[in-house]
This record gives sequence, structure tokens and C-alpha cells, in this order.
Amino acid sequence: MPFTIVSQGTQIQPATAINLIVPLPSGCDYFKTYNLTQLATTQSTGRNVMGEWFGGGLTAVNDGIDYFKSNSSSNAMNVSTFAQQSVNGFTYVNSFPAPQAALTGTTITQATNAVASVTNTYSNGDQVVIYNAVGMQQISGMTFTISSVSGSGFTLLGLNSSGFATAATSFMVRRVALYTPVEPSYLYVTGISQATQGVVTVSQQHNYQVGQAVEFTIPGSFGMVQLNNYYLPQNKPPIITAVTAYTFTINVNTSGFTAFAFPASASSPTAQLFATVAPAGQQATYNPITGIQTGYNFQYVPFRTGIFVPYMMVSAGAQSPGGSAGDTIVWQAYKMETGTINSPVPS
Amino acid sequence: MSFSTGITGIQNMAPELPVQASEDLLSTPMFNLIHSFGVDLHHAESYIGKTTRMSRFERLSTDGGQLDGSGIDPASEVPVRTDIDATMEIYAKSIVTNEQLVLWENSKTLTKFTALLGQWLREKEDLLMRDLFSSSVSYLNATGGLNGDQPSNISLNDVNNIENILLGNDARSMLTNLEATLKFATGGVRDAFIALANTNLSSDLQKVQGVLLKSAYPTQEGIRPEEYCSISRFRFFVSSKAAKTPGISLKGNTIYTIPMYGLEAAAKIEQNNYTAVIGYRPPWVVSSVAQNSQLYAKFAIARAITNQNWISGLNVTTFMPS
Repeated sequence: MPFTIVSQGTQIQPATAINLIVPLPSGCDYFKTYNLTQLATTQSTGRNVMGEWFGGGLTAVNDGIDYFKSNSSSNAMNVSTFAQQSVNGFTYVNSFPAPQAALTGTTITQATNAVASVTNTYSNGDQVVIYNAVGMQQISGMTFTISSVSGSGFTLLGLNSSGFATAATSFMVRRVALYTPVEPSYLYVTGISQATQGVVTVSQQHNYQVGQAVEFTIPGSFGMVQLNNYYLPQNKPPIITAVTAYTFTINVNTSGFTAFAFPASASSPTAQLFATVAPAGQQATYNPITGIQTGYNFQYVPFRTGIFVPYMMVSAGAQSPGGSAGDTIVWQAYKMETGTINSPVPS
Repeated sequence: MSFSTGITGIQNMAPELPVQASEDLLSTPMFNLIHSFGVDLHHAESYIGKTTRMSRFERLSTDGGQLDGSGIDPASEVPVRTDIDATMEIYAKSIVTNEQLVLWENSKTLTKFTALLGQWLREKEDLLMRDLFSSSVSYLNATGGLNGDQPSNISLNDVNNIENILLGNDARSMLTNLEATLKFATGGVRDAFIALANTNLSSDLQKVQGVLLKSAYPTQEGIRPEEYCSISRFRFFVSSKAAKTPGISLKGNTIYTIPMYGLEAAAKIEQNNYTAVIGYRPPWVVSSVAQNSQLYAKFAIARAITNQNWISGLNVTTFMPS
């Protein structure tokens, strides 16, 4: 038996299609996807209906064989590669992924939600590191979650750059892994309000939870050093009382603290340019009035592996193997019993 | 080819065996295991779930408390308990060996493969602890170096800044002092916190003001081979696998992460009876014709940062781009 299906499953893409991360505990020599939704339709534009990936280095990173429909009159099947069609394909990851190749961007705007202009093939929800942001060095080296991605740029919902002195006139960006090797991870703080309960904004979509304890590292260059543990009464870790995608509220009255503000771009590289927050456990509480109990979140709060390796990343997109919103994707992973796909051993 | 000298040589009588194995195998490369050093070791029991909870009572407030003689009691305080949770995970590796290899290979393969699996087990564990440090701890950028990068190369000011943070958070040093002795070119070493660095930083560490290389310690007794030097209140241990992220400094150079911590900053939790399991599945189990056997190693581990205030660290680049 030369080939065995070691894993298979289906995934229905949510309203905003996402790159599928398929864990492959025993590795993979051959991987295949079908888009059942698009197979059952007639198409006039390029829609992927089947994708293939070969191991052993035969398929390049972010590539694969692209079977797609493009002719409405005959529903004809076309065969190409994802790379040739300039769309994202399969990426097999067998060790924790290093930052991808750098892209050179042109501008990052001064706006409530900063917008970066760069020709890219990224997807919504990807994580990127931006560095050497000329004119906006205060964010150089930070990791961001990107949204509203187009081929020419993306939005940084976790960065309010409207108070910065200048826009960035050029920058470098690399896509990095969706998760850190261990979660929960530290995060970059991009804003903290002065309020009875301070609201913290971070550069990435976070998985911090209500009831979770956190510790801040706020350098003097950012102002609000009072949130550092050794300034707090009793040195107790702040507790999260509410969360949104990019923010969380803490049980610390920050209204009398020094305002939080980024240092100037010109401070680089001699000033500390990162304010960070790190996970510090949780506190168990029970409110008999609301019936809400916190402190027993065993899914997101415990320290644990952030991402299972190896895995196959199946890119989302109309002509990519992960499909678009609402598409049902079937995937199968195959493994050779002996040898590898480009040097098989008779068995 | 023929020879007419009449002398019998290797030209007409080559050795029966063209090669012989040397008396012992060469060393298998192994990187320095530094990331479990100095963390607390806890144990998890079986049959009670896969999450281990470590709890700490936070100290009481020292505000107020004076009695004025009126008979009015001071306000009572509700103590706070912080819970640190860690999820147990299992890792494994196996080697399937054909009987013909076992039969004909010179070097006692099953014994050697068992040793390889044992080494994998400790190396994997070390990298898992490294990943904990690199993912879940806040780091400061070094800014005192002169390479013009962001972060800069390491400097004494940067090291002292981390010491200030740890001392400000009441962290306790990990290693006791080494008293000075009457030996030329040596100096005493203060009680110290631990710092873990990549070997690529060794030349930069040598240049930090006030560095005391390991050879200048007053004694070498009990000093671990992984140790490199002492700077200020930190003793640096190095490994080629210590954390780094290529190509994301301001100048596009590699950023190295140096965790720096004191007592009870991090923990490794071992599952009882699952710390290091190495096993053998004989050929009649693995193969229908009893030709393949299997060696395996597996272990369970959970890891956690138990006190964020007692661990900090630096992001640095190297003085010369790397």
C-alpha cells in the first residue's frame, strides 16, 4: 500500500474567509482539496475547485496545482499553478515559521486606524512585523494584525497614528506566524486611556480573557509608567474586566496617571520604543448576582503551545484552495508508507 | 595492470577488508541545554486533568493599619490569589529499524539509537522552554549599544536597566556569590540573576563594560560548561539554539532575545511517570514478518511563566551584522 490517507476533513468558510491551518501530526507527502460549493456551480470567472500539493520539495512554497473553472458556457476546467495565476496556494510548514520575505512599502498614514500601502498577497487576519518605518520609527519592530487587505495595502486596526508627527514615507514588512510558539503571548501596547478603568489597545487581535491577570512594561518614554508593577499599590497584577478584538479594560484607575503617548520617531534608536503587556495568570471570582464566574478558562489562559507543527496552510481566496465565504472545502492529507514522494521505496 | 618486480604488494594483493571502523563513534552534536536551568520543577499527578494550577497569594497592603484607641477596627482586607495555569502536552519521536541494519551495521544500532532518542528528548524539552521565554515575556530593546540599529547591541546600561526592573519588582537572585580569592586576574562574582543568550552574541558579551569572563571567576568549581560570563548582576549562559528572529531589526538584522530572571520566574511541570519514557517494540509486534522493530521516546511537559515581575530581558542585535 504505497499511499495512505492520514487525515481528512471539511471546513465551511466563515463570512470572511480565512486561511485554513490543517494540523498534520505525521507529516504529509501529498495534499488535496476540493471546493464542493464551487464544483456545484457554473462560473464565469476563475474559481478554484480542486488543488494539489506534492511533498519532497516538488511544490514551491505558497504554490500547488490549480484546477479552476473560468468559462461559463461550457463550465470548462483549466489547469495551472497557483503561482502562475498569481494567487496564494498551499504552504506546508514543518517547523515554526520564520518571518517571510520582506516587502517594501511606501506609506503609513496618520489616522485613527493607520493604513499601510504596499503591494502584497497577504490575507485578512495575518500577522506582520513592520520595521524601518521612516518617519514613524516608533512602530518599527512591532507586530500587527492586518485587516481590509487589498493587493495594494492593509489597515492596522490596532494602531492610532493620528497623533504622530509625520506619516511613514517608506517601510519594510514581513509576514510572520499567526501565533507565537507559546500562548498566551506578550503584546505590544499602542494606547492606554486615562479612565476609572483604563482601556488598553494592542497592536494585534488578542486572545486575552476577562478575569485574566496581566503585567505591563511601560518604558519612561511612553509616559504612563505608573502601570508598571512596582508603582502599583500592593504590586497586584491588573485584572481584565472586558475585552474587544484589539482592546481590553483593566481594573486600574488610570485617570490620574501620566498620559500614554508614543515617543517621537526621532527618538529611534536611543529611546525605548515598545510598551508591552504580558500574561500573568488569572483570578478566580464568582458574582452571585450576575452568576458570572471567572478564573476557570482552561482554553485560552493556560500557557500552552500556540500552533501545532507541522501543518498545511490552505490559503483563502476565490481562486485559491481555501475558497471564499461560505465555501465547503474538503481536504485530504496522504502519506507514503515508505520513502518520500520524490524518492519512493518499493513496498 | 601487471607488475614485473617480483615483489608482492598491495598492487597484487589488496587488503581483504578495504575499510575498518575506528575504535569508537565520533561525537553526536548537541547544543547547550540552558533553558530549563533555573526554572522551578513541579509535578502533576495522573487522573486529575491536564491543566496544572500554580497559585500565589499576593501580599497585603501596608497602607494604614494604625489603631487610634477609639475601639474602631481597621478595615479588613480581602487577600488576592493569582492562579497560573499550564496545559500538559506530550511529545514523542520514534525510529523504525529493519533487522538487516541491526544485523550488519557495525555500531550496535539499537543502543546508539536509544542514546539518540534520549538526546532528542532533552533537546526538545530545552527548545520548548526556550519558546516559552521568547513568546510570553516582555522584553526591552537594547538602546545603549553603538551599532545604530534598533534594538542596538548589548551594553552595560541595558543590563543595568533590567537589573533595576527586577530589583524594583523584588525579584530574588538565583545564584550565590563567588568570593574573591588571591588569584591574579580573577575577581569576585556577586549573587546573580540568570541571563540566557545565543552563542552569536559571545563576541559582543566580551566587549560589555565590566564583563568578567568565566575564566576570571575566582573558582571554576561547580561552574557549568554553558556559562560564558558575568555582567553586573547577571551570569550569562549561551546556546546556539537560544532565541532569535531573523531580519526584523530596523536595519533588517537578526534580533536576539535574552531572557533575564530570578527565582520562581518560570516553571516546568512534569507528569508523574511520564517524564522520560523510552521504549522498544520488538519486530514481531511492529512487522508481520518480524523484520522491523521500533524505538520510541516520549515525554509530557507543561510550562509557565509563574511571575512576570521576576523575569524581564533584552532584545539585542549584534555589533557586526549577523
